[in-house]
Amino acid sequence: MPDIVDIAVSADGFKTLVTAVQAANLVETLKSPGPFTVFAPNDDAFAKLPPGTVQTLVQNIPQLTRILTFHVVPGKWMKANLERVDSVTSIEGSPIQIDTSDGFEVKNATVIAADIEADNGVIHVLDRVILMG
Amino acid sequence: MTTLTLPQTTLPPSTHEFAEVIHRLEAGGSMLPDTPENLMQIIGIYKAYAVPMDFYWRDLLYIAERVFLDPLPAFKYFLPKEYLDLPNHYAGDTADLRIWRGDATAHPELLAFMEKGELKQKLPKLLHHLWHDRINMEFAEACMRAMLWHRGMGGQFDPYLDSDEYKANADRAIRAYFQGNPAMLGLYRLFPDMFLEKVRELSYYANLGLFWEIMAPVFFEMSDLYDEGKLTTVPEAMNFLVNGIFAIAGRPIYHHVYIRGECYEIIPKSKGFMWLYEAALPYVEAVFYRTSPFRGTKSYNAQAKQVPADQADFHYGILYADVFPVGSAGIPPTLLMQDMLHFLPPYLVDYYQKHCRGEDDMLIQLGISFQRSMYNVTSAVIQALRTALLYPLDDPNPKHLLANRQFFETQLDRFKRPEARLRDIQRQDYR
Repeated sequence: MPDIVDIAVSADGFKTLVTAVQAANLVETLKSPGPFTVFAPNDDAFAKLPPGTVQTLVQNIPQLTRILTFHVVPGKWMKANLERVDSVTSIEGSPIQIDTSDGFEVKNATVIAADIEADNGVIHVLDRVILMG
Repeated sequence: MTTLTLPQTTLPPSTHEFAEVIHRLEAGGSMLPDTPENLMQIIGIYKAYAVPMDFYWRDLLYIAERVFLDPLPAFKYFLPKEYLDLPNHYAGDTADLRIWRGDATAHPELLAFMEKGELKQKLPKLLHHLWHDRINMEFAEACMRAMLWHRGMGGQFDPYLDSDEYKANADRAIRAYFQGNPAMLGLYRLFPDMFLEKVRELSYYANLGLFWEIMAPVFFEMSDLYDEGKLTTVPEAMNFLVNGIFAIAGRPIYHHVYIRGECYEIIPKSKGFMWLYEAALPYVEAVFYRTSPFRGTKSYNAQAKQVPADQADFHYGILYADVFPVGSAGIPPTLLMQDMLHFLPPYLVDYYQKHCRGEDDMLIQLGISFQRSMYNVTSAVIQALRTALLYPLDDPNPKHLLANRQFFETQLDRFKRPEARLRDIQRQDYR
C-alpha cells in the first residue's frame, strides 16, 4: 500500500500541501512507519487564506512546521474512532476539536473525504486550513 | 477572508446589549461605525502613530540585542545609525513581504524630528534628550512591562521563559556579557534569579520590537492608500488589517543578543514562535485590554476591591481609558499622545482646531481618535480570529452562523463594564 506522502503526491489537489511538506522537511517523517492521522487541507483550502499567509510561512520553516504538525495526530484514527472523542492532540501539542454530530467536522473545517487509508496511517481531506487556538 | 457582502442571515436578531454592533460585525463591519469622519480620524492617527513606532521597534530591538544587561543604560534611547538603517522586513525593496511601498530604513519624518525636535533647532543629541525633546521611549517600555507583568496570556513564548532550556541560554549570554567583570559575575552568583528576570524582560523587549516592526509599515501603507483615495470606508481599513494579520502571522518571534560580535540565541527562531500567537494576541490582551492603573491618575484602594483581584479582569487599557484624567504629564498614554502630536497629518490638525478647545486640548482629542482607531484594530483582531477559528460570514450553515454569533457576543461581553468606551465611540460628538 502507498504511504501518506505517496498518496498526497499522486492525488490531484494537494500541490500546496506537498510543497509545504517538502519545504518543512517532513517528507521523511510522514514516510516513516508512524502510524499517523493527517488532516490534509487541499489546494482550495490553502487558497482561502489571505494573500501572503503561505508565503510568510514558507519563508520561515520552523513556523511552517508548527502549522503543518498541527494537522497531524499520532496513531491511526479512522472516522469511526474519531466519532467517540471530542478532541485529539496534534503533534504540535494543541488540541483539535472533532465534531461528528452532524457530518464530520475538524475544528472549523469540514472533512470532504474521510478514511483514505495509507500504509502508515490515514488521511482525512479538509476544506480549510485549521489553526491553533 | 473577510468580505463586505451582507450574509443572508438566518439567525434571529441578537438580544445582546451591543446587538447593533454585533449585527455590524456579522455584516463584515467594525465596532467603529463606518463614517467618513471616523475613517479620517483613524487613518490620520495610524500615520501619526507609525512614525514614533518606527523608533520604538528599532530601539526595543537595540535594547534587547545590544544594550542587554548594561547596569547603567543611560544611552539606551540613543539609537545608533546601524539600527536607524536596519531594514524593516516588511517595507522597501529588500522586504520579505512588502507591506509598505516606502523605504525600509527609518522614516524621514522621524529622522527630521530626531535632528531638530520640537525646538526646531539642531542641537547635540544629549541636549534634546535632557530637554525631553525626543521620542518618548518610556511609552514603548510601559507596553513591554504590561506584557511582562501580566504574562501567561496564551502562546508558547511565555511558558518558554520558565523552561530549563531558556535558563541555560540566558545563563550563557549573561556569562558572556559580563566576561572579565568579576563584580557583576559575583552579583550574578548571589542573585541569579534577578539577572534571569531581567533577561526575561529583555526577551519581551525583543517580542514587542518584532511585533511593532510589522505594525509600522502596515499603518504607513494604510495612510498612503487613504491619501490615494484607495481606502474609502472603515470596514476597508479593518479588512486591510485583517489581511495583514494573516499575511504576517507566521513571522518568527525570537530573542538574539550580540556580544562582542557573537550572536547568542536566547530564544532561537527554530522554536517556531509566531507573530500572531506569541506576540500579537498577548500584546492586544496586555495593552488594549488590561495594562495596569497609571500612577498619578487616580487613587485605587485595593482593599476596597477597586482593583480586580484577578489580573485577567484588569481593564485599564486604551479600550477602557477615560482619556481626560489620563492626560497628565508623564503618564504612558500621554507620552504616546505627545509623540503622535508631532506627526499628525495636516487634515487632522485642522480638524482638531475646529473642535473643543482647538490647540489647547489637542492631546485629548487625538487620544479619543486613537481610542477609536484601536477599537478598529481590535475589530480586525476579532474578525481575524473569527476567520481563523470559526466560519465565513456568509456560511450557509445556521449552526456555523450561531457559533460566529456566540463568538462575537463573548468578545463584546468584555465591553459591558461601565468603563468601556464602546458606547462612546458610537457617537461622533465624543471627543
